Amino acid sequence: MNLSKILKNSFMVLIASLVLTACATQKKSTNLTQGDVYTGTETVEYLASGVKDRVFFATNETVLTTASRETLRKQAAWLRKNSKITIVLEGHADERGTREYNLALGERRANSAKDYLLTYGISSDRISVISYGKERPVDSGSTPLSWSKNRRSVTVKAN
Amino acid sequence: MNRNIVISFGFHTLLVLITAMSLPFLSKKPIDLPPIVSVELIQITDKTNIPFAPKAKKIIEKVKEKEKEKKLVSEQAPPKIVKKEKPDAVPLPDEKIEKVKKIKEEKQNPEKIETEVKQVSEFEKKDLFDPNSIAALIDKSKIESAESNKKLDKITQDQDKSIDLSALSLSEEDALKAQIFGCWSIPLGLPYNENLLVRIKLQLKPDGTIIRSEILDHARMNKPGQGFYKVLAESALRAVKLCQPLRVPSTGYERWKELQLNFDAREMLEG
Amino acid sequence: MLFRYLFFLLILFPIKTFALIEVDITRGNLNPLPIAVSPLSIDEDSKKSFNQILKKKNIGSEISSVVENNLKKSGLFNPLNKDAFLQKPEIANLKPRFEDWNLIKAQALITGKVKFVDEKLRVEFRLWDVLAGKEMMALAFTTVPSNWRRVGHIITDKVYERLTGEKGYFDTRIIYVSEEGPKTNRVKKLAIMDQDGFNNKFLTLGNELVLTPRFSPTNQMVTYLSYFRNLPRVYLLDIETGMQEVVGDFPGMTFAPRFSPDGKKIIMSFAKDGNSDIYTMDLENRIVERVTNHPSIDTSPSFSPNGKKITFNSDRSGYQQIYIMDSNGKNVKRISFGNGLYGTPVWSPRGDLIAFTKLHKGKFYIGVMRTDGTGERLLTENFYQEAPSWSPNGRVLIFYRETKTNSKGEGFSAKLWSIDLTGYNEKLVETETDASDPSWSSLLGN
Repeated sequence: MNLSKILKNSFMVLIASLVLTACATQKKSTNLTQGDVYTGTETVEYLASGVKDRVFFATNETVLTTASRETLRKQAAWLRKNSKITIVLEGHADERGTREYNLALGERRANSAKDYLLTYGISSDRISVISYGKERPVDSGSTPLSWSKNRRSVTVKAN
Repeated sequence: MNRNIVISFGFHTLLVLITAMSLPFLSKKPIDLPPIVSVELIQITDKTNIPFAPKAKKIIEKVKEKEKEKKLVSEQAPPKIVKKEKPDAVPLPDEKIEKVKKIKEEKQNPEKIETEVKQVSEFEKKDLFDPNSIAALIDKSKIESAESNKKLDKITQDQDKSIDLSALSLSEEDALKAQIFGCWSIPLGLPYNENLLVRIKLQLKPDGTIIRSEILDHARMNKPGQGFYKVLAESALRAVKLCQPLRVPSTGYERWKELQLNFDAREMLEG
Repeated sequence: MLFRYLFFLLILFPIKTFALIEVDITRGNLNPLPIAVSPLSIDEDSKKSFNQILKKKNIGSEISSVVENNLKKSGLFNPLNKDAFLQKPEIANLKPRFEDWNLIKAQALITGKVKFVDEKLRVEFRLWDVLAGKEMMALAFTTVPSNWRRVGHIITDKVYERLTGEKGYFDTRIIYVSEEGPKTNRVKKLAIMDQDGFNNKFLTLGNELVLTPRFSPTNQMVTYLSYFRNLPRVYLLDIETGMQEVVGDFPGMTFAPRFSPDGKKIIMSFAKDGNSDIYTMDLENRIVERVTNHPSIDTSPSFSPNGKKITFNSDRSGYQQIYIMDSNGKNVKRISFGNGLYGTPVWSPRGDLIAFTKLHKGKFYIGVMRTDGTGERLLTENFYQEAPSWSPNGRVLIFYRETKTNSKGEGFSAKLWSIDLTGYNEKLVETETDASDPSWSSLLGN
């Protein structure tokens, strides 16, 4: 076998294996989610210029990601600037869980966000918390991407 | 040359590995295809073919049933319990087919089947085609195959003779049982953990019709806290009445003109 | 001498005594019992009176239809086709000709009579054992005419119990959440209906979100979660008066409410600062007691029928699992150990089993296990289903299922389903609208 033939063969095998790996089960990261956490901007609204109103969570999780913390820091800054504003943190869960547990999960997520805001000096009497469990999805789809958009804590102006 | 082979081999294994990892459906279990059904049915004979005592047969049945149960009950899929049947059962539901499959592997006499198939059609004329009766008969063939399992050790030829005189032969017994299994509608509400045995004594005519039926544990019928016993006893009486004329042996009337049927719902309800 | 003769005779001709042959019958069939439900006979005057009051032409056939449908839906009976009945109701009621009924293969027969007496509805019915040719049961009721459906349900309960040994579940109601609208903005109302789908009534207007209603054992009170004024709290509602009141004065969300078996307490979850624990409140003295005290989420509590134990859902092990504890919160023990997440535990009214929802590898299951966690059995599998509730006799489970939406997010629906404890007779429970969160009442007569 001469070199060109070897190269040709290995090239074919490589292409074939790459094609096959492409057919592998969809890995969790797409360009809109990282791990399982939504990183896109499709359902995101803004409290003020550059200040996103929500943070997202992984399935069954209530911990804040780095991106979430950054969003919340910006929210804290905005709240310090506008000291008269009070907010409600709405916690939500996706539909892939039992109803009552999801209510508790939503409450925990909202409190995760609240606790972080408190560490940035926002007074707790400016913040109230409500959980909607899986009752108020923003995305009615039945896909993992839809579900990731629904696992959120949203900061809403109360006054 | 060797190097080429090594590289080629490496890429091939890589390819195979990737294929195996990314095509998960390959690792699924193969689908159980129901086999073409040919059921081994037993002739009713006067003399016993198998020198088993009825009790040994029961023990063997129980052991085999338990093995099957372990196989069929799984965590994920809705369990198809071996003994229970859907109300609109199609002849020979899956569970029975599995049993047949097992037996087929052990069967060795193809010639027998032909003559017995003829017998089957006679039975069918008598009562409705009922998978339960076939199940019972399959149980019987289970025992035939169990023969080879050397459980004969404890049984002797003497027992053979005594069975002839004071009991029905196993095949006669099984035919009667199979018939009654089909007639007995077990009330589902009975408590699992109570004594669910009701004994009925029958006086029969030579043609299998009932002259008299008597519940042996009559006192239990009205005992407080044993209300379910009445329901159970009534279902047994209904079964017996429904099944008339009973499938009795054609000879030896003196032997079986008085018969005691022990209805026990425990096995069916515990499942 | 004679004695010797006899002695020789006995030796030469032994009297053959056969031991009584015993045959063990250990199996039967679980086929539905063929039963004939004859229309109840009714005299012309009564017929006219009832037609006037209830607008029903023949209340006798209406009542027997209620019985027939109940028996059929239970999966345990096969009511035979009325067209094949040979005997007319008036005659059959007095003394059925059992051969006629035997001919159509009925094993049991229900006959009866309806009469308009003193402005009331009076019903007599009899249950016959066709094979034995005798009467098994004879009962009579009197009630207001508008209760005629309940009469059918009560007859079914009595017949069911007589023939299966099991208490019935037909004279019951189901409370549930009626749903309408797009998934992103569902309108939910509390609704109540007879177990066979009739007499549906809405209890709330749909202005605020309502969830997870439960009946009181006394059946005229309901507890549920409402987002009235955007404050999610547990409420009590009196079905008869329509009066609502919030339960307790908690500084945070209360949810997942149930009654204790004696109807005197509400048990629920209270969420504060990210932690949900279980609390009870006595409805008389309003004393609140804390039952769990753990940083994990504790919710979906359910009392055992004797009130001594509670089963609940907790993620203290890291993921949702099922636990039991004493009613004072001591001796917490985990009982679910299979692969997957477990939720919504409900203790059977018979005390022997706990039903639950399980999520594993993207699929939802309704299952049961013994109260020590052994004997886990999954009854049904689906893309999404949850929240089983027991019939009062502990034999049937009602739950709800949701469907997937298509790529446009359309096609969403939620419906109630029921399934027998054995895993058989899985069927849709008809409701006017979409429905979720069903809860089964106890027998209304008690």
